[in-house]
Amino acid sequence: MAKTILIVDDSASIRQVVGLTLKSAGYEVIDAVDGKDALTKLDGRKINLVISDVNMPNMDGISFVKEMKTKPAYKFTPVIMLTTEGSEAKKRDGQAAGAKAWVVKPFQPAQMLDAVSKLILP
Amino acid sequence: MSLDLSDALQTFFEEARGLLEDMESSLLSLEAEPDDAEVINAVFRAAHTIKGSAGLFGLNDIVAFTHKAENVLDRVRNGDVALNEGLIGLLLACRDHIAGLLDFAVDERTMDAGARSQGMALAAQLDLCLDDKKAGADADADSASARLPTTTEAQLQSAGGGPLTEDTWHISVRFGLDVLRGGMDPLSFLRYLGRLGEIVHLTTLADALPTAAAMEPEACYLGFEIRLQGDTSKAQIENVFEFVRDDCDLHILPPGSKLADFLGLIGALPEDNTRLGELLVACGALTAHELEETLAVQECEVGRETLVQPLGEILIQRQMVQPELVDAALSKQKDARSRQAQEAKFIRVHADKLDSLINLVGELVISGSGVGLMAKRNKDVALLESVSGMARLVEKIRDGAMHLRMVEIGETFNRFRRVVRDVSKEIGKDIELIIEGENTELDKTVVEKIGDPLTHLMRNAMDHGIESAELRASRGKPVKGTLKLNAFHAAGGIVIEVSDDGGGLNRERILAKAREKGLIADNGADMPDGEVWKLIFEAGFSTAEQVSNLSGRGVGMDVVRSNIEALRGTVDIESHAGVGSTFRIRLPLTLAIINGFLMSVGDGHFVVPLDMVQECMELDPARNPQRDYLNLRGEVLPLLRLKDHYGIKERLRRKEQQGLNGRAARRQNVVVVNSAGRKAGLVVDELKGQFQAVIKPLGSIFTKVRGIAGSTILGSGEVALVLEVPALLSEAAQERVAPVAQV
Repeated sequence: MAKTILIVDDSASIRQVVGLTLKSAGYEVIDAVDGKDALTKLDGRKINLVISDVNMPNMDGISFVKEMKTKPAYKFTPVIMLTTEGSEAKKRDGQAAGAKAWVVKPFQPAQMLDAVSKLILP
Repeated sequence: MSLDLSDALQTFFEEARGLLEDMESSLLSLEAEPDDAEVINAVFRAAHTIKGSAGLFGLNDIVAFTHKAENVLDRVRNGDVALNEGLIGLLLACRDHIAGLLDFAVDERTMDAGARSQGMALAAQLDLCLDDKKAGADADADSASARLPTTTEAQLQSAGGGPLTEDTWHISVRFGLDVLRGGMDPLSFLRYLGRLGEIVHLTTLADALPTAAAMEPEACYLGFEIRLQGDTSKAQIENVFEFVRDDCDLHILPPGSKLADFLGLIGALPEDNTRLGELLVACGALTAHELEETLAVQECEVGRETLVQPLGEILIQRQMVQPELVDAALSKQKDARSRQAQEAKFIRVHADKLDSLINLVGELVISGSGVGLMAKRNKDVALLESVSGMARLVEKIRDGAMHLRMVEIGETFNRFRRVVRDVSKEIGKDIELIIEGENTELDKTVVEKIGDPLTHLMRNAMDHGIESAELRASRGKPVKGTLKLNAFHAAGGIVIEVSDDGGGLNRERILAKAREKGLIADNGADMPDGEVWKLIFEAGFSTAEQVSNLSGRGVGMDVVRSNIEALRGTVDIESHAGVGSTFRIRLPLTLAIINGFLMSVGDGHFVVPLDMVQECMELDPARNPQRDYLNLRGEVLPLLRLKDHYGIKERLRRKEQQGLNGRAARRQNVVVVNSAGRKAGLVVDELKGQFQAVIKPLGSIFTKVRGIAGSTILGSGEVALVLEVPALLSEAAQERVAPVAQV
């Protein structure tokens, strides 16, 4: 069965590009526009990987990951954070919250695919 | 291509040519000493650097070919392939091919079919060397296994317990307890690792696993020892573990062959003041992350106020790099430092800038003498004094500026090692080249132009001068012929000698040939040897019974002479039958400014190089009526009356008539000039003394005029002609011979 990836980003274009890239590599993709939306999208589903932006309205990425990790079903779900260059502090916050992997924006679709494949298989 | 890149490209071309030259001389010296590891390394480095830089500019032909050569050199360096004469020959041919490819790149042409097929042939030969090696290695397996234990032991140590075989990466990873909690699956990293190469061997280490009671189900206790075979880099492997890097203990050790690569890379890194860590990171032996970690460890020690351990030691202790690499990097650092110190002493200047400086200095000399003239005319003593002070400074500036253009002749000489090697192979003679005086300096333009005539003289000496081995043996000479190149300063000029220990010139044969060609009128029995030897420089002269494809390339010795004369130089020959010949080329140090002697004939001004002037004297009309010689202290000195020679007679007479009342009889002077042992007196009207002549070439319509080297501008703005004494004398001699022959 295809692995499912949840993309959380408030930018529609990023969701689109990342989504298309991952779909073409054989993953199932679900998207969410912010942390709150993502939490609702999680419910009940089997999610293999989460890709989340940090800076989002309503609920930011770090709070979302913290919240997600409290749910037993998602405790071991790997998370890739999308950070921007120079936000080392944010990166550390994210790691503390349980998001160990990160990809620095701006990134090429292939780069994202590479990071994903380090964590899960198609 | 952007402008910046093309500048860099130019730098690359220069650099590559330099490297190719180094490569050539190294290869040649390897012929004598094939085991000199340092020199082998130098050859390898040259190839390696060329390949690396060529890649930067996308010169793929060069990269592809050099890569093959580099592979072979690498094997040679590791002692896998023995360096024999054949291989050196092949490598020299490869060097030439690379030089050819470089030329194509310089001209922005693509490789032509000839070069392509040549490259393919060479590449095939190189491949053959590698295959030989493989076959040889298999055969050697037994003997190699005897050595194997020690190497394995060493590798064991450096790997910190994990066994390590050659040519595989060894990756030792202990995942942190929290890896699983972070959502990371060690298995997925290992699978990803499989993309970089083949995982040859993998051992799971469960030694950290606690008893079942103490074990936390969410923690990861596993470690892995992995052997990976694949063409990858340390950074790439580290990148696989990017997301768990902080949580796990990772050691990556390069395979044996990579180690050699790293060593090569360290050598090839551009020179700058890099720190040890940066150096290792730059060549890929250490990753940036490892460096950071190690520096942090070092910093901790600083805090503890103990003796700070050098970075290299820490790196070795922590098994991040092999000791060999640290050593290589350290010595590279030392190299870079000393080279920097050396570099500081040199400034690279574009030749054009120098030329324009020299031109300006020339103008300064001219206007300086103009000022001097004014001062003399006005008889202003104070002005004269300051002018002479200034003139002295100008002279110093001139000398300094000229000195900037001076280069050592050694580089040109060293090129001949290859020529001698190739030619001696071609004609089957064993010839040794001895080079002396390579530190002698002369003007760059002269150096550039002397190469061709020298090559011809050398080829000639090797082909005709040095006898065949059998003949040498029968004459009781050593079988190995000796060719000597020597340079030294003498009398304001430079002398370059090409001497061989061959059979010497054959007087009878030269005379016979000269008669046959109509170069001499009589049988030449009383001609002095020096004159006879000079005959070989006449156009259309060639004594070799057999025209080999070597010296007989359609360029005769006459071209050699005219080339040398174009540099205002002379060539003469000393030869002794059975002992050898010496061709002696005398050249002026520079072409641009000379110390001259100024004289006037009628309205005309003439300059001769001061070092050719031997003495000056008054011509006593009473004792010397219109004769063409005079008695110089018992010696016959032929006279050359410049006004007759250049036909200034008529004008002079008119002038004399005009000035009859002023000066009754004009006093004449003789300037005794000496050129290559030949003396003559130039009869002139007035001596004007020493003069710095900035030589300007004559226009193209005067190229046929012999005896005049150029012109120069006097302080007064008048033009003086610079006489080319040797040509003038031989021309005058011919003039004189002709009427005699008619009588």
